[in-house]
Amino acid sequence: MPRYIVERTFPKRARLIGAGAADTHLAIVDRNADESVTWIHSYVSDDRKKTFCVYDAPSPEAIRKTAARNELPVDRITQVRLLDPYFYT
Amino acid sequence: MIVPTAMTTTFDRSTDLLERSHHLAALRQSLAAVRSTSRGRLLLVGGEAGVGKTALIRQFCDEQRRSVRILWGACDALFTPAPLGPLLDIAEPGGELEALVESGAKPHEVAAMLVRELRTRPTVFVLEDVHWADEATLDVLRLLGRRAETVPALIVASYRDDELDRAHPLRIVIGELAANAAIGRLKIAPLSPVGVAALAEPHGIDADDLFRKTAGNPFFVTEVLAAGEAEIPPTVQDAVLARAARLTRAARSLLEAVAVVSPKGEVWLLETIAADAIERLDECVGSGVLIADAEGVRFRHELARLAVEGSVALNRRVALHRKALAALADPPTGEPDLARLAHHAEAAGDTDAVLRFAPAAAARAASLGAHRESAAQYARALRFGDRLSAAERANLLERRSRECYLTDQYDDGIAALEQALECRRALGDRVGEAEAHRRLSEFLWCPGRTAEAERAARDAVTLLERLPPGRELVRAYHNLGRLCGAAARSEEAIAWGGRALELAEQLEDAEGAAHALTLVSSVQGDYEQLEQILERARRGGLAEQVGHISTLLAAAAVESRRHPRASRYLEAGIVHCSEQGLELFRLYLHAHRARSELDQGRWSDAADSAASVLRVPRTSTTPRILSLVVLALVRARRGDPQVWPLLDEAWKLAEPTGELPRLAPVAAARAEAAWLEGRHGTIADATGATLDLALRRSASWRIGELACWRRRAGIREEIAAGAAEPYARQLAGEWARAAEEWSGLGCPYEAALALADSEDDDALRRALRELQRLGAAPAAALVARRLRQRGARGLPRGPRPATRKNPANLTARELEVLALIARGLRNAEIAERLFLAEKTVDHHVSAILRKLGVRTRGQASIEAARLGVVAQDR
Repeated sequence: MPRYIVERTFPKRARLIGAGAADTHLAIVDRNADESVTWIHSYVSDDRKKTFCVYDAPSPEAIRKTAARNELPVDRITQVRLLDPYFYT
Repeated sequence: MIVPTAMTTTFDRSTDLLERSHHLAALRQSLAAVRSTSRGRLLLVGGEAGVGKTALIRQFCDEQRRSVRILWGACDALFTPAPLGPLLDIAEPGGELEALVESGAKPHEVAAMLVRELRTRPTVFVLEDVHWADEATLDVLRLLGRRAETVPALIVASYRDDELDRAHPLRIVIGELAANAAIGRLKIAPLSPVGVAALAEPHGIDADDLFRKTAGNPFFVTEVLAAGEAEIPPTVQDAVLARAARLTRAARSLLEAVAVVSPKGEVWLLETIAADAIERLDECVGSGVLIADAEGVRFRHELARLAVEGSVALNRRVALHRKALAALADPPTGEPDLARLAHHAEAAGDTDAVLRFAPAAAARAASLGAHRESAAQYARALRFGDRLSAAERANLLERRSRECYLTDQYDDGIAALEQALECRRALGDRVGEAEAHRRLSEFLWCPGRTAEAERAARDAVTLLERLPPGRELVRAYHNLGRLCGAAARSEEAIAWGGRALELAEQLEDAEGAAHALTLVSSVQGDYEQLEQILERARRGGLAEQVGHISTLLAAAAVESRRHPRASRYLEAGIVHCSEQGLELFRLYLHAHRARSELDQGRWSDAADSAASVLRVPRTSTTPRILSLVVLALVRARRGDPQVWPLLDEAWKLAEPTGELPRLAPVAAARAEAAWLEGRHGTIADATGATLDLALRRSASWRIGELACWRRRAGIREEIAAGAAEPYARQLAGEWARAAEEWSGLGCPYEAALALADSEDDDALRRALRELQRLGAAPAAALVARRLRQRGARGLPRGPRPATRKNPANLTARELEVLALIARGLRNAEIAERLFLAEKTVDHHVSAILRKLGVRTRGQASIEAARLGVVAQDR
């Protein structure tokens, strides 16, 4: 399954972080499963307004669908492959 | 011989199934939901061979048997299964359903009767092993799945998910049904090491070794335990045979007979072919190898049958097949089963019997809509066809090719026709030879071999023009005209169509005349005439013609952006083609719908429609090309990845055909994708040859679209022939008029791009807002950059999904329907209120549930409240 980085910009501090977020996370993971989308993990900027999320998904459309269902913004979707700097050392 | 009973009851129904409690709970929950809401569900139960799908479903049915009706149909592991066989399993002997199936009814008629029957009371309807299902049964399953919500039934279909390759027909059905909210899936995994250890423990067998060798496959595990060998057999076959070896000789001989008369042996049949060995039936059943019930005797599992069948010596196997053939040809009750007879005839190597039964089985399968099975039966007959006359061979080859045509098996179908053509030529049958040429040309066109197709079409005309004129010549003219029409060579198409029409009228060939008139009207864009022909075809019950004309009308309306008209043809056409099993036309209609949705700015819908076509691994190129283009454009316009692989595939399919309708959409899409990436330099090459072709064909919409992309890339050229109206305005620099016209046509993206061509700040700001609303990030960025270069400040950053009024992206019609669902109206009432067919409402409701990501109307109502969707009284 292809891997993607999804960039998101939030108008306020992202509500996905901090106490009480676990239920939200699980609900998202659940809804993602309907489209075979797997949220691997995310990197969050210090001001919590920008996230870089790593996903496995069958297509960019699947990522957009689940984003709409979860009411998450999408700035850009980039397909990526892993580059391991220590692979040849 | 003593069989230790403890070993055979490991998977007995009375005991609890190991590690299956949550699967059972899921089945119980599904049934409870069906019973409380009276809305049915289809549950697809998948897992590898031997993982215990049947055991699970049986246990579930046994515990529910007192409270609901159970219907159980099983698909047979035959190379060419009997069409609709599983439905005969559930039909009451002498009942309506049996009569309907035996009368050769079509799948949609059978599905309709099943729906009526399932409405009568709560039911669990099991279809076992649907990976072996014949095509007609799959059609019934597909239709039933779509209407599951209208019956109080839990429909359970089990299948081996490890046996579905990419082109397996079941995959297509599952893919199609997946979008429906009333469908659930249950995956059954092999046993865990702990589970295997629990089973191994009483037998003193090394549990780790057992798990390693069996990979936790429950069937394999029980066979090993039942065989009771010290050494664990390396394969499942060895385990089965080790177990069988503990039976008496006579019992083993009975096992062999049952294995040969797969999938089940009636007791009368086994008495005939196994003679005295039938007396050992109790021993076989007692040992747990065989199961006997009212329907007959069968192996506990297909894997066991295969193992035993493979161990029968060749001469004994042939002898058993011969006996089975003789017995089945003259059954004590009912009609002989042709598919079974053909199977045994081939296995017995009996040429006469194969040539008698296989073509008859093929004809019966075709009449039931099981065209894949029919093609395979003809192939079977042809394998034994060495001593047939050339005429008989040609006849079988032509029939086989027709069945291949209907199931998109192009290579096989073309090969069969080429052989048929040789036979006709050798016979000196000129008319037959010409007909073969014509059919070959139809066939070659579909996968895009257009030059060969035209050559064959001309050969047919040349041959027939030397003979006295007949209906064959009408068809040959029409076919050649159709090929010209498909290539947008209008004048030639009209000329050949005219000849066909004239000759058809002379010969009083009504059918030929109708086809010729369809061709001429569609090339001339005469909607009125086409609608009249469509209406006549509908009244005359000419299902295939209705599908064909609907497709033509829809394509023309989509090309000229008449979307309301297009959606009328599309909706009615798709319902018609789904019900009549007209697969190819259905794919065309879905592809055209995808394009129409894209042009109307409904990009999520467009991507869904396109994906539904691309999931079908057919070789017919036009729907595939159109869908690749739509999906690529959705991605390009959103700035999403994976655009070019789709466009490259589309171009590779379109280019060799040299046909404008296949080339133009790809060329324009490549230009647009390059423009959005800022690579203007490649646009001239991507569009030049196709624009020339469009000019030669006077195809105004294609000319306009291609010319506009070239203009945006900075190419200055005079376009001689007329571009279609909104494009002509754009080329003339009248961006405001162009934008207005695009808005009037309901094409918001094109309207915004027209505004973006302007030099006016207000217009550019409007373009920016509209592009942001559509989610067209790259085009919005281009416009924003131009505005900033002109000194504009404070540009909006685009809407947030959370603030959007309609996050689920419902269409206006779907919002209307949702509002009425929220008021508790039933589909029939909604249909009446909105002046729609009830079926159309069914389709809208499925789409709404899918988009909202909910499973029931109740949940949809809650979502409607959350989204603030309210019905307007009118």
